[in-house]
Amino acid sequence: MATSLSYYLREMARGEWLRNFLFVKTAPYETPPHFRDYPRLTGKECTHCLACMMICPTPGAIEVLKEDEGWNPVIYPGHCIRCGLCVEACPEGVLMSGRILESQFFENTGYTWTFHLTVDSTLCMRCGNCSVACPVNKEEDPQLAATGTGENDEVIMRVKGGELRILHEEKCTGCKTCEEACPNSAIRVARVIEAIHTAEEGG
Amino acid sequence: MSFLQSIKNTVRSKSIHVSYVNVGSCNGCDIEVLAMLAPRYDIEQYGIYVHNNPREADVLLVTGAFTPQWEDKLKSIWDKIPEPKVAIAIGNCPISGCVFNRRGAYVDPPVAKHIPIAAEVPGCPPRPTEILNAVLSLAPLVFKDYEEKQS
Amino acid sequence: MKKTVDVSLPIGPLHPCFKEPARIRCETKGERVISAEMDLGYVKKGIERIMRGRPWQEVMFLAERICGICSVIHNMVCIETLEKISDIEVPERAAYLRVIVNELDRIQSHILANFSYCYTIEHETLGMYLLNLRETAMDMLELITGARVTCAYMVPGGVRFDLRDEDRPTLEAALDHVEHELRRYVGMFEHGPLVAQRSKGVGIISREDVIEAHGVGPVARASGIPESDRRCEHPTYQKLGFTPLSYEDGDNYARVMLRFDEVFQSIDLIRRCLANMVPGPIRGGGTIQAGEATHAGEAPRGELTYYVKTDEYGRIVDIAVRTPSIMNIESCAHYMLEGVSSAADVTSTFISADPCIACTER
Repeated sequence: MATSLSYYLREMARGEWLRNFLFVKTAPYETPPHFRDYPRLTGKECTHCLACMMICPTPGAIEVLKEDEGWNPVIYPGHCIRCGLCVEACPEGVLMSGRILESQFFENTGYTWTFHLTVDSTLCMRCGNCSVACPVNKEEDPQLAATGTGENDEVIMRVKGGELRILHEEKCTGCKTCEEACPNSAIRVARVIEAIHTAEEGG
Repeated sequence: MSFLQSIKNTVRSKSIHVSYVNVGSCNGCDIEVLAMLAPRYDIEQYGIYVHNNPREADVLLVTGAFTPQWEDKLKSIWDKIPEPKVAIAIGNCPISGCVFNRRGAYVDPPVAKHIPIAAEVPGCPPRPTEILNAVLSLAPLVFKDYEEKQS
Repeated sequence: MKKTVDVSLPIGPLHPCFKEPARIRCETKGERVISAEMDLGYVKKGIERIMRGRPWQEVMFLAERICGICSVIHNMVCIETLEKISDIEVPERAAYLRVIVNELDRIQSHILANFSYCYTIEHETLGMYLLNLRETAMDMLELITGARVTCAYMVPGGVRFDLRDEDRPTLEAALDHVEHELRRYVGMFEHGPLVAQRSKGVGIISREDVIEAHGVGPVARASGIPESDRRCEHPTYQKLGFTPLSYEDGDNYARVMLRFDEVFQSIDLIRRCLANMVPGPIRGGGTIQAGEATHAGEAPRGELTYYVKTDEYGRIVDIAVRTPSIMNIESCAHYMLEGVSSAADVTSTFISADPCIACTER
């Protein structure tokens, strides 16, 4: 009893022990390189295909904005859940996060997608918000986007003959803008995504 | 600055009591707050104590997307914390509602509508080091010269 | 009439022991608990409602955020249900990788549950040891999937990332470390006299009562129902030669020890997976078809069931989730807490059933 007490007293009276006890902190734990952090830009050119916005599972996490000349994706922390799907979906490798881009290159994994538009005609009130908001429609028919009425049949969807008609489903990029613009959840984009692995063939 | 105030500043930056409240999160952020207790991160070396009692807390960590059931309760928890106090939103949910902020969900984000939030730690969930850095950098800043700012 | 109930004792909704808001109302006589009721509903978000009309890549993330502790199994069961609907085959390597990630998640969840128990019975030293050990499992999850808690690892037809050859030694070393350290901590738990006094014979639930209350997972297995483990029906686990464990006593001690034993079992399963794994593709492809299916998997807390109905474009028309915690909370409130001899044992018994409120209310 007495020996162990004196041992502890002697041990704790050492200057080194006291200094360690009072001042030394453990080193802050560093984030490992394989952690999927917020996607960063790699500097490659964005082609404005909107694949990242299409696959993003969170509302309002990613947007492709025009800066001077080119387009660039912008990630909003506070909305982004760091899932890394946009990094995998981007065909140009504009975004990077952790080891995703690297492993995708080595393992030849990726996604393919097709889009289908469905309109619930009992919910649709023919307001035409979707056809005005759609970014593809804006490029096809600027008049529709500006005035809300247009006669161009090259657009994806348009109110025609008192009914919302899907004219060119194949032009859809799956960006979900129409879903968000619809006040009644009548138009839905079905994004059929397939996870693929092209092993041992391509480079 | 008075001598008493400088003592208070030192003590307040060296001893931060933390309480956390889950207002409808998925548990992930709560678990990361708990993981912060682990000896690897060792928050107690910085003088941070997590003991989940609002009456002796300085910092309230709010996790979750604010379900309607907390409408009156969160305010009463916030009122129970003695001054000086600060609330930090942990994770995406109290900031934006994360994936739950959709038509038809029973959530009412952001939490800043209901109690004053001083800082936000984004991430779903944020890493324990990110939460630790937020608490460590914010708390001394808010508590510094508290009495002098009041008068 | 003679008054039998002295005090109606509320515990919660915010309690230092609980990670989540829940309220136990105990009718007590002296300190003995006569009956208990649970008040739930503080974190109801309506996740199933917002899942409707969405494709798998959004539902997967919503399913993962039903519960932050056992996020991997929610992801796995949700994706396996969709695969069952559309007859998608998973490549062999991907099936083993799924088991590895799922078992790592089970390790961290079980260690966390036992940490909470040790913390609640005020054995903080052992609790901190366990919490530090859990970080090793979290690191391995992060190494394979890239995230600590919400991994988002499984997709229809496979997994998202491969386990690299250079990472295998790290994983094996981590498993050895967890096994070695955990043997010490289990010894501490088994031989600590105070731990045994707080745990043995407290919160007993018999085999008949578990069946009556529909208890699942560790609660059922600790009362002698090994066949409650859904992993027996999973083809990959059958290939690995999985046999469930069980205890007979049905008290707090049995539940905690069962979780420790399952951690060792999980480590063994991961080792067998690593030995069996051969190089190959990790994604099989395939799109979601129309149909409906029910599928169950074994979460760390018990049986987890998904019912999903999809339309022709693979969107979810209807979904129902049954999580294990609600049955365990019922069996805890109505059978385990009855006759507990002090208010301090109420919290420890409740935590030993490992309730997950976020799962329960969704």
